[in-house]
Amino acid sequence: MTGIDVLKNRRSNTVQSSPQSRKINRQEIIAKGIICFFTAFTIAILVWIVGYLMVKGFRYNNDVSYDVTTQIEREIPLDNTDEDVVFIINSKVRSEDIPVAGLRKLYNKARKENWGFYNQQNLKVVPFAYEGAGSFSDDVMNFILTGSDLETYRKNVSQTSSWEDMIHRVGQTPGALGFIPASKAEGLPKSVKVLSVRRISLIVSPSVLRIQDGRMMREISQADADKLFSGKVVNWKEIGGIDLPVTLVFWDSKDASSIINRDEPVLAKIQIVHSEEDFYSSIVNTNGAVALGHYSSIESEGLSFIPVLRHETGWNLTWHFIFESPARSGQWGGVSYIILNTFFLILFTIIFSTPVGIMAAIYLVEYTNQGRLMRILRMGTETLAGIPSIVFGLFGFIFFVQICGLGIGFISSTLTITLMVLPTIIRSSEEALKSVPQSFREGSLALGASKLQTIIKVVLPAASPGILTGIILAIGRTVGETAVLIYTLGSNYDLVTGPSSSARVLSLHLYMLFSEALSFDRTFATGAILVILVLITNLSTTWIVKGVNKNASV
Amino acid sequence: METNKIAVNKLNLFYGDFQALHDINIEIKEKEVTALIGPSGCGKSTFIRTLNRMNDLIDIVKIDGTIQYDAMDIYKQWDLIELRKKVGMVFQKPNPFPMSIYDNIAYGPRTHGIKSRQKLNNIVENSLDQASLLDEVKDRLHKPALGLSGGQQQRLCIARVLAVEPDVVLMDEPTSALDPISTSRIEDLIDELKKSYTIVIVTHNMQQAGRISDKTAFFLHGKIEEFGGTDQIFFNPVSSKTEAYISGKFG
Ligand SMILES: Nc1ncnc2c1ncn2[C@@H]1O[C@H](COP(=O)(O)OP(=O)(O)O)[C@@H](O)[C@H]1O
Ligand SMILES: [Mg+2]
Repeated sequence: MTGIDVLKNRRSNTVQSSPQSRKINRQEIIAKGIICFFTAFTIAILVWIVGYLMVKGFRYNNDVSYDVTTQIEREIPLDNTDEDVVFIINSKVRSEDIPVAGLRKLYNKARKENWGFYNQQNLKVVPFAYEGAGSFSDDVMNFILTGSDLETYRKNVSQTSSWEDMIHRVGQTPGALGFIPASKAEGLPKSVKVLSVRRISLIVSPSVLRIQDGRMMREISQADADKLFSGKVVNWKEIGGIDLPVTLVFWDSKDASSIINRDEPVLAKIQIVHSEEDFYSSIVNTNGAVALGHYSSIESEGLSFIPVLRHETGWNLTWHFIFESPARSGQWGGVSYIILNTFFLILFTIIFSTPVGIMAAIYLVEYTNQGRLMRILRMGTETLAGIPSIVFGLFGFIFFVQICGLGIGFISSTLTITLMVLPTIIRSSEEALKSVPQSFREGSLALGASKLQTIIKVVLPAASPGILTGIILAIGRTVGETAVLIYTLGSNYDLVTGPSSSARVLSLHLYMLFSEALSFDRTFATGAILVILVLITNLSTTWIVKGVNKNASV
Repeated sequence: METNKIAVNKLNLFYGDFQALHDINIEIKEKEVTALIGPSGCGKSTFIRTLNRMNDLIDIVKIDGTIQYDAMDIYKQWDLIELRKKVGMVFQKPNPFPMSIYDNIAYGPRTHGIKSRQKLNNIVENSLDQASLLDEVKDRLHKPALGLSGGQQQRLCIARVLAVEPDVVLMDEPTSALDPISTSRIEDLIDELKKSYTIVIVTHNMQQAGRISDKTAFFLHGKIEEFGGTDQIFFNPVSSKTEAYISGKFG
């Protein structure tokens, strides 16, 4: 009989079946459907959670509000010189462009200035200038210095003797910032790159920023700004503002030509002025007026402007994030120390808890008979395993930190976590030892081995997969533990150097980044690292257990 | 010339309140195969396990009477570990350790302090040879023992016992978990081993007892109903109960 015959037979059997069996079949199908549905539902939720965490952890995707628009300028014209200036930076600096206000700060507050403010890279700024006087460098100085102190500037910058020297030294110094005439900016070495400047703001008449019916133009997306200047927006309310007609103000017809000459009709009102004074006065005095102007004029003329949202996206979880040390409470740099601290915490917790746990389990399984003592011990370990970790944290704080005087730090937290994971290790080791067949013990004892030899050479190896599983469960708990650590480990983000150093581990870092609102992106990146770590731990359990089993059996 | 290897005198054994062995008296002679037969639950395993004190593992067991091995009391005069080295045991279900074939055999010698690689190699080879397993496994000595077939595993367990150079080998139904071919190989092996070892074997299988043993003890309800030469027990039993059991009327 072939397989198909078998199938046919089976089908004809069901056709002839009694109503009773048909009813059972139907119930079976419904039950199967429900089970399938819930399984799929659960899996979908899991995939969604992990996927969401991973996407958020790996990529950032933000709208950031700036005083200037997204328009970047590589070469910046100067007031009194024909030649443009180009700002250059060391290639290790992970910035491509910077708002002009930031550029000025980098030059003027160099002692406290850090690239971290602009790109989260913990790197001191080293500004360079050209020592030779001359109209070009004076002009650049004026551009940089607007309204600042010449003395501090002189103190902060390092002077270079020539433009070649400038390029060379910027290439050699991490975090360096310098400038050169545009004519020298061809063929820069790899170690140097151009820092573009963003200095165009969206200047508006104060009337645009009024509050009307509880609405107010707080900020504008770059897309809306583009739409505005293509002349398609007639009224501010179309882009989230108040009910006010739009007037585009242009300095002269050359500026205006960019939109007027387009094929599409221009719907917004347009005003073209021919002098600087007219420009400013017409912006201030025309209701609903808007224009593109230099950021510096906002300060000097006391103008109103709308912040522009720039859409920024990129990798969140980068190698830099993993390998750089944290700075400024974790806002800058990476999490390298934090990852290392996590590993140290795991390592020492395992070193402390495993021998004690396994020995306790051996005592319970191999040396006591299942009497009342055993039951009390079992209840004790089970209760301990169920105690919320924050209670352990409290205990650790009172006992290790205060009574034992160990202080908040690595050793207190390791001991507290050891206490916390001990029941897990004892329980799983106990189960593992109990699952070793009695015949192994008898076989060994019958060969004249002592009880201890039997335990060490036969029972423990046979139980090792189960014991390992317990240890990895304990690692999992340690990795994820936060509550205990808040009380016992402190919040220092340096590398652990001794038993009493206060430190952070990943979970704690995540908690602090989030609760102190330091950086949402970094919170997620840290979370993603945690998820990956837990994933690796779990996979390694499977591999280790498989490996051990392979040694043991076929 | 027959010397007594093991002499059991007025042995009573209790599991708590339950008396499993009643007044056992038996003498086991050197280099003979003594078979223990009887219906299940009659105390054969209990008895054979007392001979190398495996019953010590069970807390509720209480024993009175004497057991002498080489004319010394196994409880009072023999050191437990020495006794178990001398009186080895093969169990009903093959129980190789979850390690390599080599390590299984070397386990006993190693626990007794032999470290030299050369010596261990010799012991492993000789023991496997004696257990007629060498040819089958010599290419895979370092493979897991649990990869062997049931019959091979049981011969490995025998080799493992031989590796500690015992004097007496106790076997508790060593073939009951095996197929007929493996069984006959083990029977051949026992035939071979009795030249150098004293063997006590529990068996459920009458034919087996008939084939391999010199003496047979028939256990019934925790007592030795009859003990004598195998031929006599099988062909000329004194007790009617023995006769009934041998002829398959109960059991
Ligand atoms: N560990 C034990 N605890 C209590 N009673 C036992 C134990 N082992 C065996 N017995 C009892 O002792 C009697 C003899 O058992 P056993 O020696 O295993 O018989 P056999 O091997 O001849 O089949 C049986 O009634 C059995 O129930
Ligand atoms: Mg039995």
